[in-house]
Amino acid sequence: MRGRSPEVLLFTGFAGIATTLFLAWNWAPSVSINAFESPAAQRIFYWHVPSAWAALIAFTVLFVGSTMWFFKRNSLGWKLHVAGSEAGLACGLMVVCSGCIWGSAEWGTPWDWSDVRLNSFGLLTLLAMFLVLGRKSQPDGVETRDTFSTFGMYGFVLVPLTYISTRIWQIRHPGPVGGPGAEGTIDGSMRFVVLFGALAFTLLIAGHMMMSMRITDMEQRLEQAQKKLDEG
Amino acid sequence: MGDALLSLKGLEVRRGMGVVLDGFSLDVHSGDVVVLQGVNGSGKSTVLESAARLLPLEKGSVHHGSTMVVDFEGRRHMPSQPFGLTLQSNGMIGDETVEDHLQTVCALSDMTADLTGILSSYGLEHRRHDRIAHLSGGQKRKVAVLAGLLPAMISSEPRLIMLDEPDTGLDDNAIASLVSNIAQLRMAGHGFLIASHHATILDCATRLHDLDGETGQTQDDDVVWEAIGTQSPASFLSTRVGHRYMRHTRAGLARNGLTGVIVVGVLLTLFNATSVEDQLWLVGMVLAVPFAVGLSGDPVVYILREHRAIDWWRAHVNRLPSADLIGPLYGVVSTGLCSLIFLNELRWDLVFIGTAVLWASLTFVRFIELSTVRLARPNAAFVRLLVPILILPWGLLVDYAASL
Repeated sequence: MRGRSPEVLLFTGFAGIATTLFLAWNWAPSVSINAFESPAAQRIFYWHVPSAWAALIAFTVLFVGSTMWFFKRNSLGWKLHVAGSEAGLACGLMVVCSGCIWGSAEWGTPWDWSDVRLNSFGLLTLLAMFLVLGRKSQPDGVETRDTFSTFGMYGFVLVPLTYISTRIWQIRHPGPVGGPGAEGTIDGSMRFVVLFGALAFTLLIAGHMMMSMRITDMEQRLEQAQKKLDEG
Repeated sequence: MGDALLSLKGLEVRRGMGVVLDGFSLDVHSGDVVVLQGVNGSGKSTVLESAARLLPLEKGSVHHGSTMVVDFEGRRHMPSQPFGLTLQSNGMIGDETVEDHLQTVCALSDMTADLTGILSSYGLEHRRHDRIAHLSGGQKRKVAVLAGLLPAMISSEPRLIMLDEPDTGLDDNAIASLVSNIAQLRMAGHGFLIASHHATILDCATRLHDLDGETGQTQDDDVVWEAIGTQSPASFLSTRVGHRYMRHTRAGLARNGLTGVIVVGVLLTLFNATSVEDQLWLVGMVLAVPFAVGLSGDPVVYILREHRAIDWWRAHVNRLPSADLIGPLYGVVSTGLCSLIFLNELRWDLVFIGTAVLWASLTFVRFIELSTVRLARPNAAFVRLLVPILILPWGLLVDYAASL
């Protein structure tokens, strides 16, 4: 059973996300038509916020893995780096795309370069894209791992910046509705769907990262086997 | 015996995921010619590049004379004495002339020299004012080997010379000149670390090392090299070389300048500046151009990627060649012209801000490009994905400038 845990987590996560979407469309209450330009589009919130939560978990794993590799040359650290960057890219793109769709409907523009939250999260996603694409362009080796883990560590500074950005410089992105510095509260059933979605995305991202680590491990074993063949 | 010219102490070095050197130690003293031999992939180049501070160490340290130049904790110090280096790749810029490149090598030792004699001995005297790109492969290799030997040829003090496969591409006459030079320089007290398979080079060694152990050889040379250099302190060398690269290659115009022209053209195509009344848009158009010029990156870094020239420089200096004045110059010119084009007046406050924008974006792109220099394929690393981090600060500056 333990060997199948990534698949179990991925399946549970997918099922949970499907349930979240069902609840978001059919059970969560509508928002006031006076408070929003496009009230129907607000339901994308149930996808956007949980995926952002999962992305921040992935970026934290990326930071931990990068640090473990850079300072300790720990191979588990490198696997975490790979898994965190891939999961961060997947979730980051979900957040950015859903945000752009909502922005188009609500603000009339998909993106605002002057908003700190939009920029910092967009940059985190670009950093993850840089790490994933860049790594695939290079042969594996300590030089490659050192360089990308350095970017993984420095890039983490964007995570707290992303967190505090709407608390300090709220420009266009809505302010927080929970936690320290929150501007207001949301309805109980809305909160339930968001938290359920966050749990589902957490399971999905955990399964994704475990799967990614397994693939990295297999790639390394394959490379060692090829080297043995090279040596005759 | 005094300090060795080179001491490698307990080196562990990885390349790729494999450990190439494990607990490797070696000393090169004045008058030594240590030749590393072994099959391909045995680690000869790794020894040389570690000694030249080009590879990170997992364990151990490298000392030039009494100075620790790099260790496993990443501490790096400049060698107290200049040294000669020829990498497997020639490490030269194609747009440099032979004379300029070799005089730059002399300048790294704070010296100058009349190179006529040594260029003649390698059959290069008639090529001294030619660009390196115009030479044949063998001639380029001769220049690269001479650049490695020069620090010893111009100095009466013992110097360390490291040559990686210097014989590759050289004809028999050139190899004979090289072996003769090595023997004469050895007699003058210089020390050599050479990686080679060539029988003639192996014959001139005083110690043959196969990375597991070494054997001594007796040499009976008696001709001593007479140093040809004269003192000539070289100040601001990195800046002067960076600007010379700019003059010779026109890379600044080709990359940054043309980018600016294209952005101006696009803006003029999309907008009729006389009909735009919003100051934010007008100022944004003016400052978009220096921003785009800066984002094109430092042309010197682009040039230095040719034939591992950047590694050759990294081994010799802490500060790579840089055309420091290009940023401010292009900033003033591009912002001033755009101010005239879009605002019909020369706004010096905008010129100042635009220059700062160009300099900052150029410096940022240079920083991230140099951060990936250790990668096997730095040009394939998608570093430009990180550039949008500058858009928000640029937007805030435009907002501020429009309020002036």
